[in-house]
Amino acid sequence: MDRKDRIALLVEHAGNPRHEGVLESADVAMPGGGPECGGSVVVYLKGDGDGGIEDLSFTGQGDTISMGAASLIMQKVHDEGLAMDEVLDLDYGAFVESLGSDVVGSRTRNATLGLSTLKSAIRKYKRDKRPGA
Amino acid sequence: MTEQEIQQKGYAHPEALVTTEWVAQNLDDTENIRIIESDEDVLLYDIGHVPNAVKVDWVEDLNDPLTRDYLDPEHFANLMSEKGITPETTVVFYGDKNNWWATYALWVFRLFGHDNVRVMDGGRVKWEAEGRPITQEVPSFGRTDYPVPTRDDEKIRAFKEDVNKHLEADGSLVDVRSPGEYSGELLHMPDYPQEGALRGGHIPGAANVPWARAVREDGTFKSSEELKAIYEGEAGLSGDEDVIAYCRIGERSSHTWFVLTYLLGYDKVRNYDGSWTEWGNLVRAPIER
Repeated sequence: MDRKDRIALLVEHAGNPRHEGVLESADVAMPGGGPECGGSVVVYLKGDGDGGIEDLSFTGQGDTISMGAASLIMQKVHDEGLAMDEVLDLDYGAFVESLGSDVVGSRTRNATLGLSTLKSAIRKYKRDKRPGA
Repeated sequence: MTEQEIQQKGYAHPEALVTTEWVAQNLDDTENIRIIESDEDVLLYDIGHVPNAVKVDWVEDLNDPLTRDYLDPEHFANLMSEKGITPETTVVFYGDKNNWWATYALWVFRLFGHDNVRVMDGGRVKWEAEGRPITQEVPSFGRTDYPVPTRDDEKIRAFKEDVNKHLEADGSLVDVRSPGEYSGELLHMPDYPQEGALRGGHIPGAANVPWARAVREDGTFKSSEELKAIYEGEAGLSGDEDVIAYCRIGERSSHTWFVLTYLLGYDKVRNYDGSWTEWGNLVRAPIER
């Protein structure tokens, strides 16, 4: 994909976000970002109790990069059936690279908003499920 | 809205605003006018922009990449040259989010003495709502000679030392962040990654007028009368006094700086760009909640 195609992909996802909406049965609802600073999201996570992700969604508002990238990471986790530890192992730099460093430029925080909030949600899930928690 | 209607809104400097119609009629006067898009959403320009507009990215073009400061005069001159701007060029800014970033870019241009500046009232959202042309074509105007200017950080910019002196003199301050940021409440939200500040609240004595209250639903600025009711009636500011505006990093407050300076005609308004990310981290800085 060239730069134009990568921008088109982000625009398409920002306009038609995948796995968007409140997940009523979520174990964790994790907020991230700031509404007046690139964007804000809430990631809804439901675990399967065995290290897997049973369901996942997000809501949010923000610029094209933050919303498009949040939708793309939701789609990736769903499509590839990633387990929680596999999500925690995802590299921010590699994710930005997949979006296009030339497109993201200095807005890496916006680009990783969805992923970083998802990781925070997973960490909270793990803390809450710890014996004695 | 016509130029006449801008005149009728009673501003101190109505020439600081142009309408979307004016921009549409002057698009091709690239010899004398440069239209600049400055957005929070940096991909908007690529998605489509006003024909013959160039882009200025507030992070990559206007900030020093290392030190927390704006670009230096040499880089500003080079940026102007790249965009085909001369010291005589009329620069018209527009952007997303009620011209938030457009006024920020304008404020930075003023630091370098480029005073021939305007804002397209209503910004990008109004241009689009009116069904005006949008293009993905990036114009090229050829390099110009732009002499290296002097940056004046005194008149319209405030540093923390200036804010301290201002506090001692019981000067007027306006905090243009949201009520939650002003009260310090947002710092207490669990797992909410508030960047930058260790303490929440506001600078003692600051009035709170969220920046976007200056605009109407269609993105155009409110009339002088409406603005006075907010900034003078509610917040107690006065054009006879020095005023310092601040927010988180000085971007939202540049919008209020524009309103107070150009639309209400205040003589001395400074933007404290260190803002809360500096003040909220300063050891022993006084804070009010």
